[in-house]
Amino acid sequence: MESTFVKYKEMGELIASQGGTFIIALIILVVGLIVIKQVSKLLRLLLERFALKPQTISTVTNIICIILLVIVVATALEHLGMNTLVIDRVIFLVSLAAIGIIAIFRPLIPTLPFKVGNTVKVGDLLGKIEGTTILNTRMRTFDGKTVFIPNTKVLNDFVINYHFTETRRIKVDVGIGYDQDILKAKQILEAIMIEDPRVKVKPRPVVYVLKLANSCVQLGGRCWVDNLKYWTTRCDLIEKTKLRFDLEGITIAFPQLDVHHYHGDTSPEFAGEGNHMSG
Amino acid sequence: MKVNEALKVIDEGWLRKPKGFRVHFQRQVDFEWVTEYAPGEKEKALDSDVVAWRLAWKLSEAAKPDKTEIKEDELVNIYVVDDLGNSIKYYASNQFEVFNRREIES
Repeated sequence: MESTFVKYKEMGELIASQGGTFIIALIILVVGLIVIKQVSKLLRLLLERFALKPQTISTVTNIICIILLVIVVATALEHLGMNTLVIDRVIFLVSLAAIGIIAIFRPLIPTLPFKVGNTVKVGDLLGKIEGTTILNTRMRTFDGKTVFIPNTKVLNDFVINYHFTETRRIKVDVGIGYDQDILKAKQILEAIMIEDPRVKVKPRPVVYVLKLANSCVQLGGRCWVDNLKYWTTRCDLIEKTKLRFDLEGITIAFPQLDVHHYHGDTSPEFAGEGNHMSG
Repeated sequence: MKVNEALKVIDEGWLRKPKGFRVHFQRQVDFEWVTEYAPGEKEKALDSDVVAWRLAWKLSEAAKPDKTEIKEDELVNIYVVDDLGNSIKYYASNQFEVFNRREIES
């Protein structure tokens, strides 16, 4: 009991003698952090005026913020009475160690498979990467939502990065009725793709008869476009296909099921062999 | 003839791939009819004829044409042209279409 009282007394004396210094150091730290945050914002705005890449802006801002943070922490510690030389040495040693560790273990450090500005799909989320931190990745989806994805999820999930390849294949699948002119439909679909300036000449657009399905003959148009133009081109091609087929009198099939009713007094007529019902 | 040569013949002879699209229209400036394009001739052309025809339709709607007389600043004879300035068929009808068609003295 007495020893606890002595401890509290010592603590009280310490606060009385060093409290002011401690509070000032704390103020330096808090004000420093606020200033760093504001400087970071201003710097970002300033760099955006130079039309730099988002990745470059992010890197430059982060480096400057880290340097400022080190200076603020060092100032606060110095105010607490720590030897400047010791602080400098610690910072120097930590920096050297960090550089050494990064240099040696870089190939082993898992990196995110995208950069800021890339359009990627992580799991079920599709959007543009706006920024990355040590803990999470900030993505803006195409319907305007900002999603923070933990980096652990990114590293453990399937990631599709649409910037790794310049081009992407468009599929225009359409089913036409069994009584329709397949060759004419193929020709129209191919012409629609070839005419479009966004569709690549190589690989050439092609049209396949994919399947003789239950309700239709399935045609598949395949062509390649630039990644950035994928979505609009695909939508345009689908629209043109529907309109051109309508104009040319080719009926697009829809799922259907023929039901034959018969009454007990009359026998149903079936064309195919093996379908005859005994009765 | 090699396959590559045959494909080249097809590319050159079957269907021409335009390099871009512009909306052609005319309007009166100081009592004279001038032809203009959107986007302008010095600007990058649109890469989609669907977008170009949509733009043409919107321009014709914005003009709110009066059938009896041509208003000041009214945009007339609106249609889509390719990179060579040739009129192209409206993809929806496969016909050469002109929005707000007017006979004007050149």
